[in-house]
Amino acid sequence: MKKIEAIIRHFKLEEVKDALTEVGVHGMTVSEVRGFGRQKGHKEQYRGAEYTVDFLPKAKMEIVVSDEQSQSVIDTILRTARTGQIGDGKIFISNIAEMVRIRTGETGDEAL
Amino acid sequence: MKKIEAIVRHYKLEEVKNALSEAGIQGMTVSEVRGFGRQRGHKETYRGAEYTVDFLPKVKMELVVDDDELTKATETIMKTASTGQIGDGKIFVTDLAEVIRIRTGETGAEAI
Repeated sequence: MKKIEAIIRHFKLEEVKDALTEVGVHGMTVSEVRGFGRQKGHKEQYRGAEYTVDFLPKAKMEIVVSDEQSQSVIDTILRTARTGQIGDGKIFISNIAEMVRIRTGETGDEAL
Repeated sequence: MKKIEAIVRHYKLEEVKNALSEAGIQGMTVSEVRGFGRQRGHKETYRGAEYTVDFLPKVKMELVVDDDELTKATETIMKTASTGQIGDGKIFVTDLAEVIRIRTGETGAEAI
């Protein structure tokens, strides 16, 4: 099983979620995060003083899927979250060693 | 070392935390998340219009344990976070490559 963490723009969240549901993703966790990447935030002016807004708000989606499903999930996120502008975010993929459904105690793929 | 991420119901947080402390787990990180699983959120009616509340608020607990403490930790979470109703949440376990205590620079099991 793989965990896919995607940092995306807020306004893309609904669109990405809907597209993922269509490709058969049955659950996800979303949180509000702040961060920066290459862009290093952006500069703003307030009363003549320039300052850098370096932690920009983003949405983090976490999705756990079977190994076979992971590529289609990544492709779907790439397709729907992309605007072509700096700040589209990143996708991180890691291996999940174990997974448990709390209600039933089911483990592994059954718990997906 | 393993990282355990457990998505649990808000009102179970204290109970799970206390049970983990009793079991000798000494630290954790908690954040507010939103998500959905099989239940797909639930439907609500507002002024006659039905809409789906698809991202439900949950709590994410993150804890890092030594390999030999893993089963004890997941079983404790299972036992205390389970209500038997849909929406109890999930537990994800990943391998952790390294842990460092920032204050001292200790690494590995010493840093847990």
